[in-house]
Parts: sequence; structure tokens; C-alpha cells
Amino acid sequence: MSLLSVKNLDKRFGGLHAVKDVSIEVETGEILGILGPNGAGKTTLYNLLTGFIRPDNGQVLLDGQPLLGMAPHKVVGLGVARTFQLCRPFVGLTVLENVMVGSYGPRVHSTDLRARAMQLLAQVGLAGKEDSPSELLSYGDQRRLEIARALATEPRLLLLDEPFAGLGSAEIESLSELIRDLHRNKGLTILLIEHKLREFMQLVSRVVAIDFGQVIATGVPQEIVKNPKVIEAYIGKQEPEHAA
Amino acid sequence: MQLKNIDRGGAVLAIAVLAILPLVFDSRYLIGVLTVAAIYGIWSVSWDFMSGLTGRENFGHSLFIGVGAYTAGFLNTVWSMNAWWSLPASVVMAVVFALIMGIPTLRLKGPYFALAMLSGAVIMQRLMLIFWEYTGGEEGINGIEPLIRSPLHFYWFVLAVLVVTTVVLVALARSRWGLILKAIRGDEATCQSAGLNVTFYKIASLVISAGVAGMGGALYAHYQLQVSPQLFAVVTSITIITMVYVGGMASIYGAIGGALLLTLMTELLRNFGEWRLMVYSVALILILFYLPQGLVAPTWERLRRSLSGGRS
Repeated sequence: MSLLSVKNLDKRFGGLHAVKDVSIEVETGEILGILGPNGAGKTTLYNLLTGFIRPDNGQVLLDGQPLLGMAPHKVVGLGVARTFQLCRPFVGLTVLENVMVGSYGPRVHSTDLRARAMQLLAQVGLAGKEDSPSELLSYGDQRRLEIARALATEPRLLLLDEPFAGLGSAEIESLSELIRDLHRNKGLTILLIEHKLREFMQLVSRVVAIDFGQVIATGVPQEIVKNPKVIEAYIGKQEPEHAA
Repeated sequence: MQLKNIDRGGAVLAIAVLAILPLVFDSRYLIGVLTVAAIYGIWSVSWDFMSGLTGRENFGHSLFIGVGAYTAGFLNTVWSMNAWWSLPASVVMAVVFALIMGIPTLRLKGPYFALAMLSGAVIMQRLMLIFWEYTGGEEGINGIEPLIRSPLHFYWFVLAVLVVTTVVLVALARSRWGLILKAIRGDEATCQSAGLNVTFYKIASLVISAGVAGMGGALYAHYQLQVSPQLFAVVTSITIITMVYVGGMASIYGAIGGALLLTLMTELLRNFGEWRLMVYSVALILILFYLPQGLVAPTWERLRRSLSGGRS
């Protein structure tokens, strides 16, 4: 059975049909990529899944349990954690405190939350930076902190929103490694929105391509890159070379 | 020396000085000034706990103060209840008002909470005048009994209430609860995605803040032996906010210093006659301009660091 099942999700903002009849199945243990140009409705989709906005229509089931209409913190309580496209560390809190804040939910049963937070920070590669003010971290480290805070909620499903945005190639490579590691060693199911095509395609096992709020293709990366609809969405329609 | 011990030592010294001062200078006037300063201290620490930590400014703290004070006034005069009932009753009434104000407005982002609190206080002040048959109108309620006959003993009681509430609020601010409130000040959406019920924490901290402020209102009623609509005045809320800023936001204990400093300043400046307000305002502007982090808490932070020999 799929871990997350999205059925006929629909959302309009006034005249803009941001998400149009989207259905996605996320299998337990996979890394599913969501591909689409800017404004395709990817972040809106995340906001719908995590309870930040309510859809006009459709259904979202986590392990058979409906998620729609739940407040964001309740969705997290069921095991769906997310990161934001723009890093949002808690200004005025240390790196360690940032992670601690994520560990007060119902899914965390550890008694020593501090040690657990230290461990998570070590896991994402932020060991030794526990006491620095979170807003002073480099952009790449802030991304890692975002991931550590999401992991602190003990998720079953992790939604990453453009984790590579604004990072240099070395940082992208090591962050890819971290995501792969979380998938392999923690058995985490991951949903990933990304633009950076090369790293994205190496990371994910399956891709759902979205344009203008609609699913235009689903498949393994090798198929997706050849799909004419995806190519059209990304580089525009190819004009026939010789007009008849 | 350990930082913790320095903090404890500083607190004990400050409490001792405040408690002994009226014994050294035996004057009713001094006792009065210190009592008012301690009550302002209670109001300021309670404001700082909610607004200082979460960053959601409450521009109508006087609402809770007035509700607490009028509750004391009604119970003690109209229903002739023992003066000590005022304290729990004022807490309950202030909490009820905190729920009425907080539940609809703290769910929203934006300035709604601050504006609702401001207008709530103004509306209550008007209501006290409109329903003058019950509230005594402009005159308010007179003939309230003192809680404790001796002014000195009453002052010590108020000081004890201030110390206990501050200890409790500082402990809360340094616990998981305080960390969550500071995270809310940082970013509410991130808090939600960290699994926190942000609205609950904001409303609950307003409830605590209001309860303490309401009790302070009751103490003030039993000190003045009279309550008037002026208690709800916006200027009271602004004074409290200024005290917290001078004390240093989000430190809780700093607010007591701010309250003491501003109350004493008001009294000392009486010699300036009609220039008083101007001197007072200029002094405030200078403090906030040169010390935007406040005066009391940052000074103490520096002092304790040098006392501990530079260790952090």
C-alpha cells in the first residue's frame, strides 16, 4: 500500500487554477521527485499536503488516514514533516535550540531530547555548531538545520522543498549525499521538489512532472527526460524544422 | 564564581535592599512609592512574559489590570466580601477576559491582537462611564478596605508577590515553554511545521500574563482603596511597555528594574514642576536611543560576566 495517497486534489486562488486534479501515490521507502517549472504549483501542493492551506476538492490519505482539514501541527504529529524553500531558522535561538523546538511533538518518545538533538545535528553534519546563533549559519548549513529540525519531529514522510536552491555545486553534492543517506539508513520516505535537474534525477526513483497545476507525466527519471510534454514545459515547443 | 550563584546572589541582594529600605528611611512616602513601583513591577513582568517572549505586543495590558481592580472593588464593597477573596477572583476574571480577547485574535497573523487589546481597554474604560449606576462612573468605587492595615506590611506582601511571580515566570521562560515562545517570535510557520500548536501557546501565555496582571490590579485597588476608569487608560499600558523596554525585553527580571527606575524617576522629577514631563521624556528617549536593548538586563549581563571572570 502506498504511504501517501493524493486523490484529485484541486485548488484555485481566484482566477488562478494552482493545482488541478492532481493524483499522486507515494510508496513507502521511495524518493519521489516532483518536477515542474516555476509557478507550476509545486509549493502550493506541499502547502495543501501539510495543512497550511485547504484544498477546494480532493483527498489526501496517509496510510489510509485522511489528512485534509487538519491543522499543520497535527499533520506533523502524524509523521509528515517539511522544509521550506527559503530557510527559516528561529532568529535568536541557537542551532541546538532550533532542533529542540522540533522535538516537542507526540511522536518523540526519547527522554533526553538534548542528546537526541545533538545526535541529529551530528547526522546532518552540523556537529560543533550547536551553540552558534542559527541566523549566522551559512546558507548550506541552514538547509541542514532545516532538515535536522524536520527530522526531530520523527517523520515517516519528509517533504523537501527545493533543498538545493541557492547552493554551490560542492554543497549540492554533499547535501545529496545526506538525503541519500537518510533514505538508506533511516528508511525515510522522501518527497522532493527540485529544479536542479542533474542532481535531482540521480537522487529520485520516480518522478511526477507538473505544469500549470496538472500532472503531465509520471515515470522513472530516464523516461521523464525523454517525455515530449516535459521537454515542452521546460524548453518550449519545438517548431517543425520544415514547414510542409 | 558560577553564573547561577551570581544570579542568585544578585537577586537576594536586590530583594534585601528593597525590603530593608523602608526600615532605614522611616517614611510613609517612601513606602508608598516603593509599593507602587512593586505593583508596576508585577504588571511589567507579566507583560514581558507574553509580549516580550513571543513578540506579539499587547497594547492594552491595562484591560487586565482594570478588570482585576474592579473585581476587587465590587467584591469588597458591593458584596462586602473579605478583602482576601479579591486576589483569586481578580485572577479568574482577568483570565476570562484574556480568553475572550485571545481566542479570536491570536489565531490571526498581523496586528489584530495588538489593536484588539488597545481597543478592548478603551471600550472597557468607556463602559465604566456608561454604566455609572453600577460602576460609580468617573468617581469609580470608593471605600475599598486595605488587605493589610500596616502600609509597611502591605508593601512587604506586594514585594513577596512580585518575587514569587518573577521566580515562576523566569523559570517558565527558561524552560521548554519559554523556548517555544521565543521560537514563535522567530517564525510562526516554522513552529507549525515543527509540530507546535502555535495558537495554543500564544493564548496560554496571554492567560498567564493576564492572571498575574489582574492580581496586580487587585493589589493596586487595595492600596489606593479606590478604583476609577482611569485604570483602563492607554497611558498605563504604554508606561508598562516603556518599563519593559528600559528593563530589557524578554528578560522578565529586567522589567522590575525598569518599573523601579521609572517610578522613582517620576517621583524625583517632581522638583522640576511643570518641566517634569519634558525631562522625563527626554531621559527616556536618550536611554532608548543609546541603549536600544534596554538598560537593566544588559547591564546585569555585563556585570555578571565580569564577576564570573569572563567565563560564559
